[in-house]
Amino acid sequence: MKKPKVGIFDFACCEGCQLQIANMGEDVLSVLGSIDVLEWREVMSEKWGKKLDIAIIEGSITDPHAVKRIKQIRKKAKILIAIGSCATIGGVNGMKNNFGLDDIRKYVYGDSYRFFPTELTKAVHQVVKVDYFVHGCPMYIPEFVALIKAALQGIPYYPPDYPVCVECKLNENVCMYDRQVTCLGPVTRAGCNSWCINNGNICYGCRGMVSNPNEKGAQDVLAKYNIPMELILNKMNMYNKCRELT
Amino acid sequence: MEDMQYVILKKERFNDFISRLSKMQKLIAPVSKGYNNFAFEEVSSGSDIALKYIPTVLPLKKFFMPQRETLLEFKMAKGADAEAVVELEPMTIFGAHTCDLAGIQCLNMVFSERPKDYNYLTRKNRITLIGLECNEYCDEYASCHLVNASFPGGGYDLFFTDLGDYFIVHVKTQIGDEIVDVTGFFEKADVSHMNDLERLRDHKRKVFSNEVPIESKKLPELFDKSFRARVWKDLDERCLACGNCTNVCPSCYCFDIRDELDLSLKNGVRFRIWDSCQLEPFARVAGGINFRKERSARQRHRYYRKFRYSVDRFSRFFCTGCGRCTRTCMAGISLKETLNELIKESEDRVWKKWL
Amino acid sequence: MEKVALKDSGYRLKKAKILHTKKMTANEKFFEIALRENSPLDHEPGQFIMVSLPGIGEVPISVCSSPVKRDSFDLCVRAVGKVTRSLHKLKAGDEIDIRGPYGKGFPIRILEGNDLLIIAGGLGIAPLRSLITYILDNRRDFGKVHILFGCKEPKEMLFGDELEDWNKRTDLHYACTVDRADPDWAGNVGVITTLIPGVDIDPIRTFAAVVGPPIMYNFVIKELLAKGIPENQILLSFERNMKCGNGKCGRCQIQNLYVCQDGPVFHYERIKNLSEAF
Repeated sequence: MKKPKVGIFDFACCEGCQLQIANMGEDVLSVLGSIDVLEWREVMSEKWGKKLDIAIIEGSITDPHAVKRIKQIRKKAKILIAIGSCATIGGVNGMKNNFGLDDIRKYVYGDSYRFFPTELTKAVHQVVKVDYFVHGCPMYIPEFVALIKAALQGIPYYPPDYPVCVECKLNENVCMYDRQVTCLGPVTRAGCNSWCINNGNICYGCRGMVSNPNEKGAQDVLAKYNIPMELILNKMNMYNKCRELT
Repeated sequence: MEDMQYVILKKERFNDFISRLSKMQKLIAPVSKGYNNFAFEEVSSGSDIALKYIPTVLPLKKFFMPQRETLLEFKMAKGADAEAVVELEPMTIFGAHTCDLAGIQCLNMVFSERPKDYNYLTRKNRITLIGLECNEYCDEYASCHLVNASFPGGGYDLFFTDLGDYFIVHVKTQIGDEIVDVTGFFEKADVSHMNDLERLRDHKRKVFSNEVPIESKKLPELFDKSFRARVWKDLDERCLACGNCTNVCPSCYCFDIRDELDLSLKNGVRFRIWDSCQLEPFARVAGGINFRKERSARQRHRYYRKFRYSVDRFSRFFCTGCGRCTRTCMAGISLKETLNELIKESEDRVWKKWL
Repeated sequence: MEKVALKDSGYRLKKAKILHTKKMTANEKFFEIALRENSPLDHEPGQFIMVSLPGIGEVPISVCSSPVKRDSFDLCVRAVGKVTRSLHKLKAGDEIDIRGPYGKGFPIRILEGNDLLIIAGGLGIAPLRSLITYILDNRRDFGKVHILFGCKEPKEMLFGDELEDWNKRTDLHYACTVDRADPDWAGNVGVITTLIPGVDIDPIRTFAAVVGPPIMYNFVIKELLAKGIPENQILLSFERNMKCGNGKCGRCQIQNLYVCQDGPVFHYERIKNLSEAF
């Protein structure tokens, strides 16, 4: 089998997900053994610029230049994979959408703000077609590996459509709500093996929401624990603001 | 063997016993995780063990049918046969409450029903089970008496009862007898010990009673009348469909089967992992139709699997009264409350007939 | 953790080879398959097998050929999921793995000597083709045979050549209909239930065998009961999401029944009160 040609590209992000790939250790060698990486700004200086089998995208789309660039990459790539919350759901960059775009530009660029056009933050699939999603901030490496294998096999990969609580319970973690701490596990899509909670942290909702949450039930639960709706919505918006865009 | 059925272990020798036991093979026991949460984990000394504990987050089934279990190993090369395998790890489990022993009895029935599941059956025989009696109720969520699991009903090799200064231990099997022999910390039980045990059991008979106002044998009949009960609609509004209730249930065993290749894409495994009838995709077919789309239908299915269908198939309840489903439910769905509602609804129906 | 070979495993696979394939419609493909050394599958009409593509997964598929054909068997696969789409990419000479056959098929011994009313909707023709071809292979053992077939559009019609043959045969009665006609269609238009009143049967000695999409069952059963066919002479086959085939994994459960072991073919009398069945 000919090795697929792969390019890794970043948009508005912290490049943390690419760092996750670089930090994979032995697995990265196995992954690199089955693919040909031709462009990856974070770790190599070569540019490819031609047709690709797989384009891996980190980051959200936040300005007209990025829109143009992602469309070009889409045209060149047979398969497009979005990695990390910024790319899959907009992620923390979505917080920009809480404010007026001109206010944002003035705040960031001062008087010369007119030279810096901007747009509402969008997840990659809100601009071009995405074939595979690796959610998470940062993405969870075992899921990335599973997905790469699926892409190489030419079969779909479906992230779980149930809440993080499922995996958290299987890991026998003490429920954050038992510790009187709010956690977004009950409404957040699983697939991370409850990574954060295993390590003593709460779930911040970085993988996006489950597709058919019981909203009425969730409100009852919040009421039971005396948690104001606004607090949870604010927490949700940290990663999930872009869900409001269609 | 008959006169050797009961032995005692003095409390001061408990730690030595546990240390010795842990050196024989992997030893599992309940340990505290804080915030009144407990888990069955590997231990090496008596001080690791929580002797007074409420049911652990996950029940013993995690050792009998692991969350993820390899069924087949295969190579992608043409003509290569897949090899069926079983993953085994011999271990001793100390401190299983009667509800959890009942859970394993349920699983034993399921997996030995034809067609037999030799992955389960092979593994089960490598696990030694040591029970531990509950002298009192663990908490208000338990309903073990209703389902006949509040007193020891077999399913163990040894069974410990804490009688203050010492444990009295029922030796049920040859394996149990060997542990008593090899560790060497036990003494023969005499009449006074047996009387102490009888006093505790008398006390328990006063403390434990049906937690829901119904005779156990009437439960199947109650469920026969309750398929369209209002309570299922009520659960539809409350259930978050997180599947926690089934994952923590000692007698839930539904699973999914998946394949995974290594990164060379040349070798792979087929494995099964725990699944839950409460999750939305569970009863969905490839064409998209979901045969239990409503949360109410999924919750109802769970209850019927515990109190009705299992009675037809295995002549026993598959609820062991451990209370885990209630304890773990974010939405506060309570097994006892649900049963109470069903009873109330059926009484209402009787009244309506007369009025 | 020790890993030991398990010769009694219920998940062991049998190697099989694709002898022949044929694209039937936009979504359905036909496969003729032989086990190693052409050993017989030894199934009953109405049973299913688990088809494996190691590394991708496993799916339940009804066998659609007569058990009288011993050297090979046939499958008709609709591409709806990960495994079935991958199956569609395979061609003659490729290998698959199978387990089974599983479940209870049509009760042939009981059907013998009686009249049969066979009603197939869409892909439901696949398991029924196994029954029909078995009957044709043993035609004198059965009474009168009526076959009613319906599908959405003419272009979705499966086994068109064989339907044509059945239509020509003098030893059975065949009728078909489509929900929506195209310009070339000269036959009946309407849902399959419209064909039932016109069939001339002796209800007391007629068994009905019905397979089709879930939505079809309630309407068809109503018509059959109206015809006077007793409840225990109506046979239905159910589609569920079988994963293990061994009555364990729970996915195919209809209330207290496991479709993979107790079915997929059920007497209507046994399941009529199970609301999860319909």
